[in-house]
Amino acid sequence: MAAVESKQAQQVFIRPDGKEKVTGVGRYTADLNLTGQVHAKFRYADHTHARITRIDASKARALAGVFAVLTHADVPEVRYGGMVQDRLMFAKDAVRFEGDIIAGVAALTPEIAAQAAALVEVDYEPLPAITDYESAMAPGAQLIHSDWESYGAEDMGRDGNVLGHSTVIRGDADAAMATADAVVSGRYVADASQGAPIEPRAIIAQWQGDKVTVWTSTQVPFAARTGVATVLELPESHVRVVVPLLGGGFGSKCDFHFEGHVAALARAARRPVKLVFSRHEEFIAPDHRREGMAVELETGVRKDGTIVARRARLVIDGGAYCGEGGFFAQMAAMHAIGPYQMENVSIDSYLVYSNNQPSSSIRAPTAPQACWAVEQHMDEVAAAIGMDPVELRRRTLIERGKASATGQIMDEIGIRETLEAAAEMIGYGQDLPDDEAIGVACGWWPSFGVNSGAYVKLNGDGSGTIITGAMESGTGAVMGLPILAAEVLGMKPEDFSILYQDTDAGPWDMGSSGSQTTFNNGRAVICAATEVREQLLDMAEKELEASRGDLEIADGVVRVIGSPDKSISIADLAGSGTPLLGKGSGDVPEAGPSDIASHCIGDLGLTAFLAPQLITHAAHVKVDRDTGVVRVLRFAAAHDSGKIVNRIGADGQVYGGVMMGIGQALTEGTTFDSEGRQINPHLLDYKLMTASDGPEIMIHWEEVVTPNAGPKGSKGVGEPPSVPTSGAVGNAIAAVIGRHVNQLPMTAERVWATSQENGQ
Amino acid sequence: MKHPITLNVNGTPYSVDVATAQSLLYAVRDQLGLTGSKEGCDDSECGACMMLVDGRPTNSCSYLAVQADGAEITTVEGLGEGDELSPLQQVFLEEGGVQCGFCTPGMLIAATALLQANPSPTAEEIRIGVSGNLCRCTGYDGIVRAVLRVSREGASV
Ligand code: FES
Ligand code: FES
Repeated sequence: MAAVESKQAQQVFIRPDGKEKVTGVGRYTADLNLTGQVHAKFRYADHTHARITRIDASKARALAGVFAVLTHADVPEVRYGGMVQDRLMFAKDAVRFEGDIIAGVAALTPEIAAQAAALVEVDYEPLPAITDYESAMAPGAQLIHSDWESYGAEDMGRDGNVLGHSTVIRGDADAAMATADAVVSGRYVADASQGAPIEPRAIIAQWQGDKVTVWTSTQVPFAARTGVATVLELPESHVRVVVPLLGGGFGSKCDFHFEGHVAALARAARRPVKLVFSRHEEFIAPDHRREGMAVELETGVRKDGTIVARRARLVIDGGAYCGEGGFFAQMAAMHAIGPYQMENVSIDSYLVYSNNQPSSSIRAPTAPQACWAVEQHMDEVAAAIGMDPVELRRRTLIERGKASATGQIMDEIGIRETLEAAAEMIGYGQDLPDDEAIGVACGWWPSFGVNSGAYVKLNGDGSGTIITGAMESGTGAVMGLPILAAEVLGMKPEDFSILYQDTDAGPWDMGSSGSQTTFNNGRAVICAATEVREQLLDMAEKELEASRGDLEIADGVVRVIGSPDKSISIADLAGSGTPLLGKGSGDVPEAGPSDIASHCIGDLGLTAFLAPQLITHAAHVKVDRDTGVVRVLRFAAAHDSGKIVNRIGADGQVYGGVMMGIGQALTEGTTFDSEGRQINPHLLDYKLMTASDGPEIMIHWEEVVTPNAGPKGSKGVGEPPSVPTSGAVGNAIAAVIGRHVNQLPMTAERVWATSQENGQ
Repeated sequence: MKHPITLNVNGTPYSVDVATAQSLLYAVRDQLGLTGSKEGCDDSECGACMMLVDGRPTNSCSYLAVQADGAEITTVEGLGEGDELSPLQQVFLEEGGVQCGFCTPGMLIAATALLQANPSPTAEEIRIGVSGNLCRCTGYDGIVRAVLRVSREGASV
């Protein structure tokens, strides 16, 4: 049977959760069943914007087999939300998008629960729905939240339907623009898109006395715990969140979503309650999708490629609620500048409410769309001065020791090297048939320094256990933690087991978001392992009667350097009964300052990027001129993510992220009808890339060992692979059809229509 | 209305009563307790529920349990032998063909069917062969490499 020679001997890192995943014995949330469990269904809004005048759940409650029906009247009235508390668990006075929840039902079977949900009677007074989010800013526009002023919120420039307003202003863009040899302007509009993990979310809640355990497919167990405690007014210590295997997230399972509803239903039903989403619900109900965005850009350039000024105005569709997307206005503003040097910038960025599905973080939120706009715009700037687009980037990209456009002095960075590497891998400049071309795009994304914790303990059999608050969404980030602990402790990665995804076990962690797991939890694990190392050395000093400086730890033993027979195994030390347990969090790195934060509106601390992850992508595409169908033939991805800790994991992020980016470039767009209902909430019309759509993907890591960063000089890895992807594809398409497609995704229809405008 | 049927799953016969509208996926997951096969869409769009039914790769979410009466069914749980991983399972791990793992059961079934029909496929044939299975994590590269490696090294699937 084992006719394939195992690569294990050659030190291939096999993820510790791998065997359970390939054999099918691994349990995801929907695979769990508890004795006595009943099933949950939601009653969603019947209008995308309406006042609620009456809710009557009596018929639903009377249906045989129904254990509980909950509306706003049955739970504490707690408004929640990270940066703006604008949301209630169950709609009370108003509904604002199609996924607003009126009622939750728990019943003997999912079918009875669905039937009962339909029996809830709701009367509405419909209000005008705003789905064209740019019009939400118009004077006199219908307010999405009439009582917005009463909400608790951070200071983020809110005003009516404007949920956030950020400016980034440096120098004098107006005056500088007048000195340019050419001024180029453009407008780009990106549709919304989705994280679309293959696992639809599932949640089970079970009460034991006044404590609840929630098994849930979340990327952020600690945020889910806080959410449940907040909305049900419980102490956090009464809530335990456990995440079985997670079937992907890409941001869509970040934030607190439905755990509170299910916990409340379980309490009312006096039974464990299980909720499993259909694919349709996975599209419409989460307050998480990639935001639609309208980007207007104006750039002044000198003939030598110097960018003298950039002006931009961005409007971002925040949808019906803020969720955790409150930082989008400023983040998008940073991407409207990009990783380029320019002295004068004036960016105005607005995050607005609409009656569309709420936006929140999906893999590098705001960056792919803004970068797609900017990178196509950069190619137009290059054309205006008759310069090769790669040459323009070569002359303007940020570099070490120089100031970014926000005045941050850059550390050691390798973006220029990524540009050269990508151009070389793709064969930039080669002759191609006239329906093929190469496009190049650059981008950036910050690393996020946050607190994070881990424990490391050693066991009597010589093995180790990492107890971490970190969350494994599939990326392999948690699976790679043993590599770091093993190095500190002179052990092998496979000597470690990991206890994770249980808020009662590991210390707090932000979760699988912001590409932060290795960056922050890696640091915590190294700290914890280092503490254990000290404990081992303390013990070995006595056992071996040697001084500390003469000891080394390697191959599972502590030994006296130079006297191999004077040694004691880690197993013996750990088995002696003295606990060997370390804890760690480490010092959180912070970004160096920008020189403008003080005079920007809506500053949330993003005008300087900590340990920026830097990327150049190059796409070789073929365009069918008769149909507009685009195929990406080859793709080069060159990344500076600092030192790479786990190569197979890092490569996996690029392969997956690039494919996600190509999907967003060509086919993935959520379309809303005139009232804000999704037209394509299923996988046939919301088309993810399949294996047969995929190009050959070439990867280069520019391993700049980065100061003030993650373990060993690493940066984040997970989000950047989707950032400049659609920009590179867009530039390649434009090089074939002679014009930039200014709507994302660049569907066959749009490519064809754009080529016709050009008379081609 | 319930129908008594026999499902031969991974070599074991099970006698079960199923409702007319019961999918094969839910008969296997809920009644037999084999939860390796996943539901990603319930609409024949993602392939996470894929099983071999008399050797043919089949989206079991969109296949009635009664249609499978008497058929030989293979799920991901039936690919290895005891504790031994099949060559495909092993190589999927080594080549980075698995991240979150939610598509993996269906993907392994699709790849097994492909290699049974075509023991030495090209990369292009592999990509087409698994194009009914969506993976959001891996970008498919590790999966294609894994299938290529198994076919090149001539392992029995
Ligand atoms: S669940 Fe059967 S194809 Fe998606
Ligand atoms: S590994 Fe996550 S969907 Fe394929």
